[in-house]
Amino acid sequence: MNVLKVSRLTIAAFVLPCLIIYVGIVFVPILVSMYSGLLDWNGIGESRFIGFENFKNLFFHDPVFWPSVRRTLMFAVFSMAEIPLALLVAILLKRYIRRPNFLVSSYFLPVILSVVVVGQLWKTIYNPASMGGMLNQVLNAVGLGSWAHEWLTDPSVAMYSLYFVALWQYLGYHTLIQYTGILNVPEEIYEAARIDGAEGFTADRYITFPNVIPIFKISIVLAFIGSLQAFDMVMVMTGGGPAHATDVISTHMYNMSFLSMKYGYGSSIAAFLVVLCLAATFVINLIFNKLEKRFS
Amino acid sequence: MNTSSVVTLNKPAAAARSGRFSIAKTIVILFLSILVVTQVYPLLWLVLYSLKTNEEILSGSFFALPHAPQWSNYGAALEGNYFRYLLNSLWVTSVTMMAVILLSSLCAYAISRFRWRYGQGVMLLFLIGMMIPMQATLLPLMIIFKNIHVLNTHLSLILPYVAFSMPIAVFILSGFMKTIPHEIEESAVIDGASIWRIFRSIILPVSVPPVMTVCILTFINIWNEYILAATFISSEKLKTLPFGVNSFVSQYSVNYGAIGAFLVLGALPVILIYFLLADKITQGMVAGAVKG
Repeated sequence: MNVLKVSRLTIAAFVLPCLIIYVGIVFVPILVSMYSGLLDWNGIGESRFIGFENFKNLFFHDPVFWPSVRRTLMFAVFSMAEIPLALLVAILLKRYIRRPNFLVSSYFLPVILSVVVVGQLWKTIYNPASMGGMLNQVLNAVGLGSWAHEWLTDPSVAMYSLYFVALWQYLGYHTLIQYTGILNVPEEIYEAARIDGAEGFTADRYITFPNVIPIFKISIVLAFIGSLQAFDMVMVMTGGGPAHATDVISTHMYNMSFLSMKYGYGSSIAAFLVVLCLAATFVINLIFNKLEKRFS
Repeated sequence: MNTSSVVTLNKPAAAARSGRFSIAKTIVILFLSILVVTQVYPLLWLVLYSLKTNEEILSGSFFALPHAPQWSNYGAALEGNYFRYLLNSLWVTSVTMMAVILLSSLCAYAISRFRWRYGQGVMLLFLIGMMIPMQATLLPLMIIFKNIHVLNTHLSLILPYVAFSMPIAVFILSGFMKTIPHEIEESAVIDGASIWRIFRSIILPVSVPPVMTVCILTFINIWNEYILAATFISSEKLKTLPFGVNSFVSQYSVNYGAIGAFLVLGALPVILIYFLLADKITQGMVAGAVKG
């Protein structure tokens, strides 16, 4: 309950420093960007107001845009598909492991690393065997040499190589989130269920699962929003290449604005991304509110 | 949900009933151990890689130990500006953390305790901000910073870092401050303490646990941030560690071992901290996710 009555000046002194920086750095640029999306501008010289011309080009004439949207959504699908696996690992950890600290810390290790370290590490792993790449060397060594690929330069597999790195890095994060959720389910419920004859995976179906739905939602939102924003890993590993084969929405935006110097056009992509993120969050929340009602 | 109830990793798993289902248990342990290998082995491989000669790396013996550890790879890596990058990262990250803690705790206190009309509105603004992708602000910020002449300074990194760390910080802190019993403040007011004194001497000391969570989240996010640094900074002497590592590795393409060594050095600070504070970091990051 808010109880303290203080003067307006005091409120301003507490709130404004934070709020001014926040609004100035987050909201003002977003609004500027929405407006720049309506301009024909290279970012330096004269700008020309062209209305929705940029969006028209983006939606109807840009051969890179829709494939990049598809890759971004696939990124989200793959990331979300990993969460049931994380839940399984979490259930196994809780049921079979008495002291999970070592396991949990090992799974979590990749999460804390910079995307640069992770990206460059996997670039090295994906290198051709002749350049010391571990993956191809392993495949050659176990007699699967025909499976060896140019993992990042072959357009047909490059994107999957990137998805895999993201899955690798965040498996531990989702596992730990689910594990925390499971630990918070009161033990009494399991005991009551045991008396009623529900054990093992039956108990998980009727107790663990309904109780971790809110936590499951958190993982889904994180995975989905994280994938829409997937950017730095792609920049570090491929920069969107070869030949746009790994372009996602944000790398397309970056390349358009900073390499092709189409600032107005890049801004229209940025505006699209913001709207997509807000809409996605809204829809996910809607779906899970329904789910929670049905299960509880 | 307050911090203390979020996770207790030390709690023995009550459901682990030893002796029964021993075959199942063996399979499970095997499965979980394989996951440890997939999650940790790439990093160990990198350490081995960083100690090998080019010939050893190219020979294809990915599992072998280096014949003689090539510490000279690390020498070559340190000839790059490693320590300069490290200092820059330390500076940028610590200034950001201090600013985030100070500004967000003031704002969170006002939102959770003051009687005023727009508290919920301000909170809503922060909640929306959590969903806004940082990269969407990249271009307009670049133009704005260029016009006010802060591009290519550390300020051009610290400002957005602080701003983008604020929503989650305000959210976590105000969630905690709502749970502080207000009898404490009432008695302080009766004793004649000013609002600033209440904030400094009562609220902040009590809020240490959520402040630690915010510190951990901010540290991991900012220490590892790459794309803003790569966009706003161009001087070699201002680069932060992730940016420095990336530019070293992309330019230095003949000596594989030295690249590996620089990557190891790039990962080292955060891994050292993780060894010391693993439980705190995992708990903090999960708490951050669960509340966000």
